Amino acid sequence: MTYFSYFKAECLVLFRRKQNLVNALLFFALVIVLFPLGVDPSKAFLAPAAGGIIWCAAALATVISLESMFKEDYADGSLEQLLVSGLSISWLVLLKVLVHWLGMIIPLLLLTPIFSEMLFLPDGVLGVLMTTLLLGTPGLFLIGSIGASLTVSLRQGALLMLLLILPFYFPIIIFSTSAIQAVASGLPYSGLLAIIGAISLLALVMSPLMTPICLKASVR
Amino acid sequence: MQSNISLTISDLWIERGDRDLCKGFSLTATSGDIIHILGDNGAGKSSLFKTLFGLVSPVEGEVQLNGEDVLNYRDPLLKLSLYISHALGLKSVFTVLENIRWYFPKASEADIARVLSLLKIEGYLDVPIKALSAGQTRRVALARLWLSDLPVWFLDEPFSALDMVSIQLLEGRIREHAEQGGIVFFTSHQPVTLLSPRRVELTA
Repeated sequence: MTYFSYFKAECLVLFRRKQNLVNALLFFALVIVLFPLGVDPSKAFLAPAAGGIIWCAAALATVISLESMFKEDYADGSLEQLLVSGLSISWLVLLKVLVHWLGMIIPLLLLTPIFSEMLFLPDGVLGVLMTTLLLGTPGLFLIGSIGASLTVSLRQGALLMLLLILPFYFPIIIFSTSAIQAVASGLPYSGLLAIIGAISLLALVMSPLMTPICLKASVR
Repeated sequence: MQSNISLTISDLWIERGDRDLCKGFSLTATSGDIIHILGDNGAGKSSLFKTLFGLVSPVEGEVQLNGEDVLNYRDPLLKLSLYISHALGLKSVFTVLENIRWYFPKASEADIARVLSLLKIEGYLDVPIKALSAGQTRRVALARLWLSDLPVWFLDEPFSALDMVSIQLLEGRIREHAEQGGIVFFTSHQPVTLLSPRRVELTA
């Protein structure tokens, strides 16, 4: 087994199990559609809320797609094989997160313009919304992989994982929605983008350290 | 293949929950050894393997590879080891060929074809793993023994679900590997017929 063959295998698994990804994206769409239906379809309500709605839906969809991240590897024994392969587990985890992130972010970025139109997102804000998604979602996925590895051996781990990692999502969501509000009211926002990027970089350092520890604890 | 390898386990004490699985377990294996690890169900045969790979931490004891401690820094042992556990590590959404390619990206088409026809699964190259029977799935996992060049094998119940012909084939491969200077550890509840392994009993 090499890093490249692992990467190829992960891409193939993601493709063969595309239903998981489709489910997460459907969930993303449903959450967004429920806001105008359930609260208020007027432009006065939706326009200022649009960025926040899209971000919350993206964060929840991320959790849904990550919940099963290590489940199948755990069940079929390939997680054990990865741990004894002699390859660095940290790199393998990063590759896995990269594949899952790419699989999610590309359709998400394609859907976002459509939904922002539907939610009356103010003109000129879309670019910043896309940038915050691009900068913030790596953090969501990296933090999520810690939660997924902690709960991999539990049969009903989804809700526990949500409880464990959602608090760590708050800063990313808060700074992203602040950046969107700042640009809508004509304030500078580059500092907020820098903070989102910094959180994702911190997650990039922490996740490859924590996830292998949690995986080893789960496999025993 | 590296031909002078010695693996020494001394005074290993493994605990699971509050139960001692083995205490004061010692064993030395050198190139050419075939070691049959015996023990009742739950005696800790799989846990012994997992301890060597660092998946379970022992209470105390030492494991040395060529005189160097591998319990705290396991990479040297992992880089020489091939481990086939109860869970076979095959992806159910992959075909037979994709599973083998995943483990051996550099293996040639001819080698893979030769091994699969030896194991009588040559007609299933493009069949998904989930469509195979238990014995066929196990044979796909065991194909790694013919394709790999790693010297130290840890086989957890390799003979289960196999038919008589496959068992003899596997025993032949284990003997051939030992003759080439490899080390084989295996667990099995069935007696082996072609091999004369060293038998080691795991007791608490």
